[in-house]
Order: sequence, then C-alpha cells, then structure tokens
Amino acid sequence: MIINRTLTFVFLVSILFFSAALHAQVKGLIQVRAVQGDDNTSFQDGGVGLYRHDTKSDELILSQGILDFNVDLASSWSAHGVLNLNQDPDVGLGLTQAYIKYQPLTDSKYKWHVRGGGFYPLMSLENPDIGWTSPYNYTNSAINSWIGEELRTVGIEATLKRPAKRFNSKHSFSFVGATFKGNDPTGTLLAWRGFALHDRQTTFNEGVNIGPIASLNEFDLRWQSGRVLPFEEVDGRFGYYAGVHWDYLKKSQFRVYYYDNNGDPSTVNYSSGQYAWDTRFASVAWLYKFNSKTRVIAQLLNGETEMGANALIDNAFYSHYLMLSHKEGKHRVSVRYDYFKVTDNDTTAFDPNASHGEGVTATWRYQLSNSWQLGVEGSALKSFIKNRAASGFAQRISQQQIMLNAQWRF
Amino acid sequence: MIKVLVYVFLLCASAQGFTANITIKNSSNEPLANAVVWLTASGSTEITAPEAPYAMSQQNREFIPRILVVPQNAKVEFPNADSIMHHVYSFSKAKTFELKLYKEQPKAPIIFDQTGVVELGCNIHDWMLGYIVVVDSTVFAITDENGKANLQTGAGEYTLSVWHSGFSDISNVETKDMIVGTQSLEYKVKQEVAAQIDFATDEFDDY
Repeated sequence: MIINRTLTFVFLVSILFFSAALHAQVKGLIQVRAVQGDDNTSFQDGGVGLYRHDTKSDELILSQGILDFNVDLASSWSAHGVLNLNQDPDVGLGLTQAYIKYQPLTDSKYKWHVRGGGFYPLMSLENPDIGWTSPYNYTNSAINSWIGEELRTVGIEATLKRPAKRFNSKHSFSFVGATFKGNDPTGTLLAWRGFALHDRQTTFNEGVNIGPIASLNEFDLRWQSGRVLPFEEVDGRFGYYAGVHWDYLKKSQFRVYYYDNNGDPSTVNYSSGQYAWDTRFASVAWLYKFNSKTRVIAQLLNGETEMGANALIDNAFYSHYLMLSHKEGKHRVSVRYDYFKVTDNDTTAFDPNASHGEGVTATWRYQLSNSWQLGVEGSALKSFIKNRAASGFAQRISQQQIMLNAQWRF
Repeated sequence: MIKVLVYVFLLCASAQGFTANITIKNSSNEPLANAVVWLTASGSTEITAPEAPYAMSQQNREFIPRILVVPQNAKVEFPNADSIMHHVYSFSKAKTFELKLYKEQPKAPIIFDQTGVVELGCNIHDWMLGYIVVVDSTVFAITDENGKANLQTGAGEYTLSVWHSGFSDISNVETKDMIVGTQSLEYKVKQEVAAQIDFATDEFDDY
C-alpha cells in the first residue's frame, strides 16, 4: 500500500514538475470476454482452480481495461504509467506500472537508459503488447502468469546497450542490472497454490487469494494472511537482478536473467500477515522468427524460495513453455504447451508444497480493423497439488476453458 | 573548325540537357547499389534549393527513404506515420538536432545548410538508421541494383562525387574530375564497402 501511494505520488509529482514541456501519448485497450469454464472454483475466489475463470464467470466480463500513459517530460526524460481496471475477483482500479525513464541522447555508439519506479523486468518475450499483455495467447504461460501476479520491480534498473546497427554488426547486446525494494512475499503463491494459467495482473494496491490451505491454521503459520500482498516490503533489504539480451538480426532474441529478492526468511510483518520469502531464480527466454509470419517463443524458469525460521518452508520451482505462433493476413494462431513443478525440500510435514502440472492453450485472433480484434481460445490443464487433500479436494484435477474475446484499442 | 563544331555540339547538348548514364562499381568490380552520386560543375555558382520541402518519414519503425539526397539549403520534413513516438536525432557535423515526433503532429522543416552526411537515429528504436546526404549540387541520384544511375545535366566538366553508407568512415566522400559527354561513365570506388545488413524487425521489437 505504501509502495502504491509512493509510486502514484512520484508519478504525479514528476508530471507536474515537468509539466512545462508536457506531451503525452495515451493508449488504451478494452477487452471483453465470454468464458465457458469448469466446476473448479478459481483461486481468485478462494478455490483450487488454476484458471482465472470458472463456471461463475459464464457471462460477459471485462478481462482487460488498460490505460497506458507515456508522458514526454524533457529531452531525455519520460514518465510511464499503466492503469488497469478489473472486475474480478472484485471491481478495482490500480496501477500495474509507474516509472520514470531517463534515456539520454548520446553521440556514443553505445546507448544507455535508466528506469526508476514500479515496472516489469523485461525477462519474457511473451508480453510485448500494451500494458504487458500478450499479442499471442489470451491466457499467459505459467511463468508469466506468475510474474504478472507476484513480481514487479520497485526500484531502479540500468541498461547499457550495444545496438547492432550502430556497429554495422548482426548482433545486439544489452546488459541490465537492477536493485529494488518490495517483492518480499514473492514466492508465496508458488508454495501454496502452485503455478496457474491466467492473464490477471496484480495492481500495486492489490492482494491475491492463496486459496484453501489447511496448513495456514497450524500454529507455526498463524501469522500468514490468506491473501498475499506480493509487492510489500517486509525485511528492509534490497533485492537485485541482472540480465543479458542478445539479438541476432532481431530474428533471434535471447534473454537470460538472474533474480534474487534477497528476502530474509525469518522476518514477518505481523499486521499485514506477510512473510519475507527468499526467492531467487534464473529465467531464459528465446524468440526465433522463422520468417515474418511464423515464430517460436520459449522460456524456462528455475529457482528456489524459502520462508520462516530454520527453513520452515523450502521449495524449488521450475517451469517452461514452448509457443508457436503464425500470422496470416488478419489471422494469428498461437499454440502453447506449459509445464510447471514445485518441489518441497523442507521437513515441515504439516505443510506439503509439492505440485506439478501441464497445460495446452490454443488461440485464434482475427484483426477486424486497426482498433477491433476478435478471438477464440481453448485451454486444457492438468494439475497435481499435494496440499489439496488436507482441504478435502482431489489432489489431481483436470480443467478446461473456452473463451470468446472482443477487444478494442485506441 | 573541328574545335568550333565540338563547342557548338557541347553548347547544344548543354542547352537541351541530357541524361548521363553512370555505373558505380565496388573494388571487386561488381555493380554497387545504393551509392549516392552527384555532379558539381567546375567553377560552379551557388545552387538554389527548391522551395518545397523534402521528406524523411518514419514508417513501421524505419526511416523511409533510408537515404535521402538533398541540395544544400534544402528544407526537410520528418513526418511520423507510426502510432508511436519517434525521437529522431543527429550528432553529425553537417547538422546536429533532435526532434520528438508524433503522428499527425508535424514539426517545422529543418534547413540543411551545410554539405555533408547527416546520420539519423531514433533514441527509442535503436535499430533505426537513416542518412541525409547534403550536396552542393542539384544533379544527384542513387544507383539501382545494377549500380546504374541517370543524371540529368548538360555536357561539360564536372566533379563526380560518390558516397556509400557502407564506407567505414561515412564522411569520406570520393571525388573524381571528369568530362561528361554522350558516352556512359563508370567509376570504381576505392574504399571497401560493407554489405548492408537487413534486420527482421516488427511491431513487438520495442519491448
């Protein structure tokens, strides 16, 4: 909450401060969806379903309401903000990104820029569209569903770039380093709910329901809230990440990152019920264009998270996806396979965290005009989550959903 | 008598104007495409640039055209056809400037009053690279795939200038004095020319 207020304040003050030479680009996207879901109540509504929607959503819902601001402050300064309106699980308005960018004009062949505020690390190649949405599938991969709900840089990131063209080379390189606050509870959802498949990004002022977790009634976990506030600062320590982007002719794009929130697992915020989790992982993403129409995108995430004194909870997590997308005129078809797994490495018997699953998602989008797009998506998902048993659910469930989407952008 | 006839012929040709065909070759004697060629008459007087502005557009995150040749003192507009902002800049000696450009919000044209090569970049899309070649002539062209260019001029003595974006030092223009008559001309560049690299960019590559 403090982070959200601070970001909003910084964003507004900077706009006012630079308002003399103000020039804004405002873009928006509204996406409405009809879903045929399954009987498993979504995690959003306190269930064990891993989709955003369930049978309760079998009516028109606003799936994305995005306003993207890009305010030109001065020659090298700009302010960016993304405002999201959501109606599930509750109606709410909030920022998913708010940052200032400093990108100086330089005579050097090397280019650099700095971002400060709240934003996504650019680890993935799946979400390049407005407001970190995907132009491919509607439902994000397991990796990026998780990044969208639990991970956001609230800090400073610097990028040094060697652009290929400036060196008359086929290879571009970027070196990225960042340090941040917040993101201490990041990892909570993976431990208890596991990975999920959805496109619901968490705004800075929101929490996410963890679902029915019997072990939260145990004495050792009595302080843990039933909702994770992923962007909270708990331990007062800085986290960091570093990454390298390597592009070959823009035909092949490769990104590798190492992230460590440097959480102190022994700390807890008693009033908000949030623990600091020591979450660190490596992410490798690759995009390859066979030609201008067909591309493949893949990503792999491998990491660990620890919470509580004496490794009360100690888990490893892993996920990968492979997506193939083909654009033919006004049509784009994208098919993706996801695999995800959480391994329970601690000896805390009352709190099992093991889970695994896989999913297939196929999407067809039709571009009616520059502003209008229609699309259909079908998805199937199998998951095994050990802690479901203690709450009276089957550990292994199969889910399916079909959705129709209409989207308008300006 | 013959001398007089030649002069009369040259005068006629000059008065009517004709097309000089020129072929540019690289050091391996292969035709060189996208070379900028221009002719400057010996003892040339000041040139007058057209009143109407030239245009260097930005479309699909590329400069269109990639190379624009303009006479000295020409005005150039920078229309942005994309729905996103471009931040066009140059640090070249011939013109240093920066422009933040939005669709349908044109800025005043820039006057290029110094000859030379102006290298353009975009601070947001670092793969965008364009050139404005400002020349002291109104007789200029860019060679086609066969290394050929047609120059509308009169016969006489000229300095031929040749420039290519693949030169390792892009300010290094090659020149040669020649007599332009009815015969086809050929020029072989002395410098090595780096091949142009094509990038497969699309709307999602800003990310």
